[in-house]
Amino acid sequence: MNFAEQLLSTVIRDIGLRESVIGDLREESARHAARFGGASAKRWHTRQSLGIAVRYGVMRALRRKPPVRWFTIAAAETSGPWWTGATRDVLYAWRATTQRPMLSVAVILTLALALAANSTTFSLLDALVLRPYRFAGVERLIVATTVAPEDAFFDRANVTAADFREWQAQAKSVKGWATYQWWDANLSGVDIPEQVPGFFISPGFFELLSVKPVMGREFLASETQQGQHHRVVLGHGLWTRRFASDPQIIGKQVRLDGELYEVVGIAPPGFNTPDGAEVWAPAALTGEQWANRRAGILGVYGLLQDGASLEQARAELETIVDTQRRDHPDTNTKRYARVMSFTKGMSDPGAGAFVGVWQAAALLLLLIACANIANLLMARGAERTSEYSIRLALGASRARLFAQTLLEGLILSMGAVLLSMPFIGIGLALSRASIPASVLRFIPGWAYIRIDLELFLVTAALGTVAMTVFSVLPAMQAMRTQVSDTLRQSGRTLTPGRNRQWLRSTLAITQVALALALVFASSLAMSAAYRTVNGVLGFDKNGVLVAQLNLPERNYSDADKRRRFITSVEDSMRTIPAVSNIGATSIIPAAFNNNSRRFFPEGVELKEHEARWAQYRSGTPDYFAAMKIPLIQGRLFDDSDRADGPQVAVVSAALASRYWPDADPIGKRFRLALDGPWITVIGVSGNMVHNWFVRQYDTVYRPLTQVAPYSVAFAVRTVGDPNALAGDLRRAVSSVDADQPIASLMTLDQLVEDRAGGFVFISRALGVVGLIALVLSIIGIYSLMAFLTTQRTQEIGVRMALGAGRWQVVRAITRRAVFITIAGTVIGAALGFGAGRIMEALLFEMVTNSIVTLAIISAVLAVAALVAAYLPAQRAARIDPMAALRES
Amino acid sequence: MAPIYLGEFEYAVLLAILHLDEDAYAVPIRELIEQRTSRPVARGALYTGLDRLEAKGCLKSRMGDPTEERGGKARRYYSVTPSGLKAIRATHEALSRMTKGLETILGNR
Repeated sequence: MNFAEQLLSTVIRDIGLRESVIGDLREESARHAARFGGASAKRWHTRQSLGIAVRYGVMRALRRKPPVRWFTIAAAETSGPWWTGATRDVLYAWRATTQRPMLSVAVILTLALALAANSTTFSLLDALVLRPYRFAGVERLIVATTVAPEDAFFDRANVTAADFREWQAQAKSVKGWATYQWWDANLSGVDIPEQVPGFFISPGFFELLSVKPVMGREFLASETQQGQHHRVVLGHGLWTRRFASDPQIIGKQVRLDGELYEVVGIAPPGFNTPDGAEVWAPAALTGEQWANRRAGILGVYGLLQDGASLEQARAELETIVDTQRRDHPDTNTKRYARVMSFTKGMSDPGAGAFVGVWQAAALLLLLIACANIANLLMARGAERTSEYSIRLALGASRARLFAQTLLEGLILSMGAVLLSMPFIGIGLALSRASIPASVLRFIPGWAYIRIDLELFLVTAALGTVAMTVFSVLPAMQAMRTQVSDTLRQSGRTLTPGRNRQWLRSTLAITQVALALALVFASSLAMSAAYRTVNGVLGFDKNGVLVAQLNLPERNYSDADKRRRFITSVEDSMRTIPAVSNIGATSIIPAAFNNNSRRFFPEGVELKEHEARWAQYRSGTPDYFAAMKIPLIQGRLFDDSDRADGPQVAVVSAALASRYWPDADPIGKRFRLALDGPWITVIGVSGNMVHNWFVRQYDTVYRPLTQVAPYSVAFAVRTVGDPNALAGDLRRAVSSVDADQPIASLMTLDQLVEDRAGGFVFISRALGVVGLIALVLSIIGIYSLMAFLTTQRTQEIGVRMALGAGRWQVVRAITRRAVFITIAGTVIGAALGFGAGRIMEALLFEMVTNSIVTLAIISAVLAVAALVAAYLPAQRAARIDPMAALRES
Repeated sequence: MAPIYLGEFEYAVLLAILHLDEDAYAVPIRELIEQRTSRPVARGALYTGLDRLEAKGCLKSRMGDPTEERGGKARRYYSVTPSGLKAIRATHEALSRMTKGLETILGNR
């Protein structure tokens, strides 16, 4: 057989047609030889063969029948500059990819989904945790504060003015400093007064952060002088929202805390450092205030000296703070320096754990997807074994085939990266929408949740790496192809070698195991999220309207005035028929602020740091009724609990049973500070969840008559829709004090939901990831089984011809699937349980591991996997044995 | 089922097979078409055409015996199937309906 005929037999698959074509050509070329001579006939024969081969090949290619071998020849190895080869390889890879459109689409879609999950998460991780602040040179900025060693939570704005001044004078590793001081500014003089988050800052604050006001300027050093300090820089959002983006605003006056401030600048859009700030005013500390070493009021930023490292600055500040501790034993005994990078110091401590869990899940999903893809590609590789053989026979190097397969992977991954972009867009849009507006301003970096070039590059890199790694398996397979298989032109399908089958089974087991773990973990998160919002809270969140506000110290330093404000608002609301109850408290559940005290029961000698914490609230007696918090024992507050009378408290059941497990808690006494007054327990209330992040049921309620808070929340239980009373509540507040803003006005269930918003979203996102993983792994099993079954068609035919029944065939085929399912489920269950334990630890104990759930999910997954395996097996069992045997 | 309309080349191939009857295999089919139409026919086009017609169900084929002159390779004989015949008639009728009334221009057929 000469080259031309070999070419033909490669191209024409049908044996009969191949025979006849070659025969026809021989017949005609014999005639040709008789007339024109042998040499001419040979040329003629070659020319005609090539012509037919090309024609036939084109037809086959257009019909998209599987492996089109003519192209193998077209891409056959030749000498020549490398780029001709490379171009051909790319072309060939492209055609190989488009030849099996369904397979390619499956691979691309799988990878795109997994990539989208990863990039969406990565974008969140990057924006919220890794780089929430993107000022130029943010890596040179530090946050410095002092902490007491026993404090679990550190307060980053905790530095005293006198301490700071010494840092400023002594630290050589820090080039510049900036400070800020909390200021809940009360913006009035406009239609509705509003409480805006504000800060008193040192001049040069903006410059230190490399931020330039979009209009105007920042503060001058002279503006820290008393009398010249009524200047303000407005946040871009506030300027847009409340001042209609007035371009002439610079130089105008706005009323803050009842005083006039001149606007000198507008901050750039999105700038809200620190902590969601919307107004900044110069800090005008008096000499006396600068000498204060007791009150930790300042947040401190530093800019590292050129050449100095964070470690140097930390070491230097630690030395300075150590000296201060020795020099000022009366004030500084518990102060230890804490120096961090700006990003670490200013990030939200909670977001990391959430997004981290999600990212881990997304990476697992990517692994599952890759296992799936590797399996698909290997199936195709097996199908193309003969193609590889021919190319090898024609002189292709194995390295070339290897590169070729990788190239095909690359083309697929490019497709997947492009396709993942719209998915990422949707994911990010959903993420942004899921963060409630009330929470938004506390989340630094949310503005960076978006698709940008960086995200695209990360996605592309991830896709390429994943695809390359997992293309190696089929590529290895291509490399191992034996030339001896080349001309088994009967087309008899080869049962893949044991090794390969094991590899593919391992991939499938991995998929099942990872999917099970993921589904279980996401189910845990989802049920925890559901509980957070709808579980037992200890109060009734439905039908309650809540207004939270902060009474400014300047106007309300008198406790009686605060009490009068609260009772006036309550009285005014009570006149409304739709109000069934109204109560006031210092801190409503699910609020962002919190207050806790150390608890010293009478009769137990405790040192300061030995005492446990208890949540500390004050409230009116009707607060319990409005919230439907049950009174278990004793009585609630009443008019007899006067400011100058015996100090009393209602405590939660958890607290009572912790400290007085066997005794009647009523009449017991405790203190909330070692030098504080004794407080007598008069009642025991039900436990309630203040918020899920602070799992602390021990609660002390003090009567409003004895403790008047600055932070007030009114809880209004209504008949009908609570939102309908929002206007009334607003009017009630403004009739008592027209300048008093309401910080937050929403229903209690909305408040609870908002507070859990991030968690609920993450859990849903995890659910989606788990679902995709489940589908992918089941598709994986299905495709593996379908492929194996196709390969074994002849074997099945033989078995059936020899008398095997259908069920025997099904059993023979599903045996492997059963093994995969069992192994995958067992491993997956173990992984899932481990993941559950990790989540329990990570997610503030909101997640509870559940063996029952694990068992149910395992069972469901196992059944689904078996059904996926059964379908091809059942199809195989229907094969007509004769057809199977005839099939070539 | 609607009859299959044939392309010009396919039509020619089927007619040639009818002409050749028992002897219809690729070599004489091609020669006949070339003679009668005085147009060259590429072998590749013929084989793909035959393949396509067989796939459409217009043709069926059988293998002959291997012969010495063909280097031990068998011939593949084609014959027109009933549905192939139907397709030929349909195409013929369609064409003749199209030419009806144009006899003066087309001349004596």
